[in-house]
Amino acid sequence: MASHPQDFRFGGFVVSLIWLIFWILVIVALVGLPLIFIILFYVPLPEVDGEVLTPYLFLTSILYPQSAIPVIETLLDTTLFKVAVFPGFTYAALIAAATIFIERKFLAKMQLRVGPLYAGKIEGILQLLADGLKLLSKEIIIPSGSDKLIFWAAPIAFVATAAAVVALIPAAPGWVVADIDVGLLAVFAILGFFPLIALLFSWASNSKYPFIGGLRALHQLIAFEIPFILSALSVVILSGTLNLTEVVESQIQSYWFIFFLPISAFVFYISSLAELERIPFDLPEAEAEIVAGWLTETSGMIYGLLQLGSYIKTYALAALFVILFLGGWAGPQIFPAEIIPESTEAVIPVGELYEQTDANAVFWFTLKTFGVIMLMLLPRGISPRIRIDILLHTGWYKLIVLAFINMFVALALIYGGVLGPGGLLVR
Amino acid sequence: MTSIEEKFEESKRLGLQIVKESAEEDRLMTLSVGPQHPGSGHFRFVIKLDGDYIVYCDPDPGYVHRGEEKMCEYRNVIQNIPHLERPVIHDSANITYSYSLAVEELVGIEVPRRGQFIRAIASELNRQVYTLYWLAIYGIFLGHSTMFMWPTGDREVIIDLLEALTGARVTHAYNIPGGVRNDMPEGFRDRCLSQIRYLQKRFKEYEDIFYNNPLFRQRTEGVAVLSKEDAIKLGVTGSVVRASSVPFDVRKAEPYDIYNEIDFKVQYMKTGDCFARSYVPLLDMQESCYIIEQLLDKMPASGEVRAKLQPNPKGPPGESYRRVESGRGALGYYIVSDGTPKPYRVKISVGSFRNMLALPFLLVGQRLADMPAVYWSLNYWPVEADR
Amino acid sequence: MSANNKEELNKVAAGSQTKHSSSTSDDTAQQKQQQPPAPSTQPKQIPAKPSPPSATAAASAATTTTPPPPKPSLASPPAKTQPEPPPFEKGLVEQLKSKFGDMVKVVFIKPLRIKIQVEPQDIVGVASFLRDSMGFDHAESVAGTDYPKDNQIEVVYHLGSYSREELAAHILWLTARTNKDDARLPTLINIYKSVEYHERECYEMLGVYFEGHPRNERFLLPEDWADIPPLRKDFRIKGR
Repeated sequence: MASHPQDFRFGGFVVSLIWLIFWILVIVALVGLPLIFIILFYVPLPEVDGEVLTPYLFLTSILYPQSAIPVIETLLDTTLFKVAVFPGFTYAALIAAATIFIERKFLAKMQLRVGPLYAGKIEGILQLLADGLKLLSKEIIIPSGSDKLIFWAAPIAFVATAAAVVALIPAAPGWVVADIDVGLLAVFAILGFFPLIALLFSWASNSKYPFIGGLRALHQLIAFEIPFILSALSVVILSGTLNLTEVVESQIQSYWFIFFLPISAFVFYISSLAELERIPFDLPEAEAEIVAGWLTETSGMIYGLLQLGSYIKTYALAALFVILFLGGWAGPQIFPAEIIPESTEAVIPVGELYEQTDANAVFWFTLKTFGVIMLMLLPRGISPRIRIDILLHTGWYKLIVLAFINMFVALALIYGGVLGPGGLLVR
Repeated sequence: MTSIEEKFEESKRLGLQIVKESAEEDRLMTLSVGPQHPGSGHFRFVIKLDGDYIVYCDPDPGYVHRGEEKMCEYRNVIQNIPHLERPVIHDSANITYSYSLAVEELVGIEVPRRGQFIRAIASELNRQVYTLYWLAIYGIFLGHSTMFMWPTGDREVIIDLLEALTGARVTHAYNIPGGVRNDMPEGFRDRCLSQIRYLQKRFKEYEDIFYNNPLFRQRTEGVAVLSKEDAIKLGVTGSVVRASSVPFDVRKAEPYDIYNEIDFKVQYMKTGDCFARSYVPLLDMQESCYIIEQLLDKMPASGEVRAKLQPNPKGPPGESYRRVESGRGALGYYIVSDGTPKPYRVKISVGSFRNMLALPFLLVGQRLADMPAVYWSLNYWPVEADR
Repeated sequence: MSANNKEELNKVAAGSQTKHSSSTSDDTAQQKQQQPPAPSTQPKQIPAKPSPPSATAAASAATTTTPPPPKPSLASPPAKTQPEPPPFEKGLVEQLKSKFGDMVKVVFIKPLRIKIQVEPQDIVGVASFLRDSMGFDHAESVAGTDYPKDNQIEVVYHLGSYSREELAAHILWLTARTNKDDARLPTLINIYKSVEYHERECYEMLGVYFEGHPRNERFLLPEDWADIPPLRKDFRIKGR
């Protein structure tokens, strides 16, 4: 029933403006000003060119843009930048988004169809944006009798755990959020959280199909952690360190480990497919048997968060594969030394922000990660779903044996003096 | 009337009692693989699980029951065609073929020769449409999304052919008692042959990606074996019984129309497991391609395609039972006529309803993960079973 | 192949067995190169090609002990007068009559279709004899028809045969009539397992109670169906 619009009253308009100004003043006074004082009193401001970055300095940089460059350089070094932008959340989320889109297009071409086509001018490139907006706007239905706290917390925990794994992955020398000496061990410890989250969420859903799916997720994820760790152990033996940056450094010094450890790479690949619950190992979400497995009761943004977490995990495990076996960011130098020649004399020396080694490292790392991600997407078009007893049989018998074989090969290489400090193949 | 009402009350009470019993057994988990399930279609079956193994299965059809048999008594024999083809929209040429044969026997119509050939061509094309769709859903039930997309896409090829032939894609109401509605368009023969050759190439690709896939074989070989004696006892039909080494095909056993002039083999396999039941339809489709080639070769170049009928065709009182081989199996019509234009009783004996009996028999003792593989391998079409 | 085509076009569509055996050899040669390749893995378990069509050609070859039956095409119109019953079907009926005598009433004998009617109390005995001695090993369908003029409901069992080659095309109609007011019939589920769901559907659609059937319950109709059985003639579809 359409009603005619209300008549415009000037007095009402003025009143609403005054209300708006009132509320802005209240919020600024009660929230904004204390926040600024807290930042000024308690947060140590960074040093720029010998001077502390006071708000005065910050505001003068608007007048003198060339003084903004050192500020930006300082910003690029902070932990916040590394966590939020690169190689942290934004980078991972962008790669995850690109993965989803490429997966849909890639599978579509394999299956004789087109994939997303209409959203966006070029071949449906804005489809993800449309899907994200759709998920945001959907109603979140929580089943009655479910454990509401875990139902809300589990998807957030899922994304947080996936992001924690991303935090340990170095994308370029010096670009890592958390440079821990036991980085690889920390990755496996964090990966051990995922079956717990799946099981908690499926239990909290208070329904039969999620229950079955959660149990299957538990079986699958725990069963494949062991070949996962064993295959990475061979890398640790060859490189002598658990620190992920140093693993890459040792590969730069000799050759990429995939040439010495092909079987371990294969085992790692299969185990990461199982950890990611990708086809052919997607039995926790087997559609024809248990509706959607432990994701059955998710709707709206909860489903969106779980998918985001899943694809961030994909990036993390693919990046781990690249770091452990494919030499991380190693690759021939294809970037020029300076992007804009003689930039230091320019008025706004933007070219100083460019670092040749960093750019090269990021480029090769991203390229290799995408290659491994494409390899992980491939079985989705080829295989049907596996069954739980075949899965456990494969995981426990065959993959562990294969991982051990390659571990003995690695040990032989170390003790034979081929690799390791002062070895034959170390450059 | 009171005894009938009492019996219905008793049956209602019995149904509720089964539900109550299952709630009291703590160890078993009752799952309703119900109509709201991606793995069941318009069908529900209740299973009870002991851990990962199914211990009890009870099919519960009727979600799409439309009362086809009752509706047939209210319309004359020609008016029955459009609603009779709705139970299986993909295979609509076969479900009306059988009806047309039965009506022709009752009324006494002779179908012209060219009409018989075109009817057979439409029947074979529809059989392929149905089997490709069945194969697509079999792929997605096992999680193989490429095997879902490829047959569905290739099905479009045949549906385009059918659209050129009949004017509609799926429910075309093409077969009527007396022949077919209209003649073939020009150039249909060459187009049909080229599409058939394309399909035969695709069948090889299906074998590569699906049937020779080690994961698929692991999941279906040796699973839910139906022995020959059990298959005969249970009275299953179609590809299910041919996979259990009973080489029965209505087109060979009781040739109707011009099928006694066509030479083809009855494809059957001896193992009776899920793999055999999923492979026999592919072999059937390949035989179907050879049959279409022969039909197109042997067809008379011109002629009538339908017999002239009275406005309300009726025949002397009598009964007839005719059957054809549809995508699911022997589809039989039992028609009783009392001399009026409207049939007195029409009973449709569909292959899905007969194959449904094998479902509880085979599912008990299997894992939950095998449930979609076994259920769909029985070539069960839920809408047809409900009629 | 074209010469064969012209030959076959000129022949009447009455069906003859010689065509089968003569063209079999031609077609197997043509079809051999078009057969799909056998799946490469585990060839010893599953044959890709079925065994040579001994099953299909057995009907035409005179290797069976019983005389090979004619397979007339049913495209020709049925004659208006009652024709002489075909000999093979007649032989089946003689076999039944010799065992049961007057208990079995023959309604008609048509090519490939025989209809016999028995009393409800004899139906189990006749069915067991049909299954064990005559080779009709499964029931294709069970249909019930309501005849309000005679106040009777007739239940028809269509019996077919998978195991016997010569009976593959024949359908034997075993029928029984029961009073409409108290419609009861003994169940044939212990003889033909395949009638389980058909009898259940007959029960709910017509109200015929099958004694001995484990579940006389709703099958296709909804659980809250509160009307008379729908396939009875008293039940009218609303609005028609």
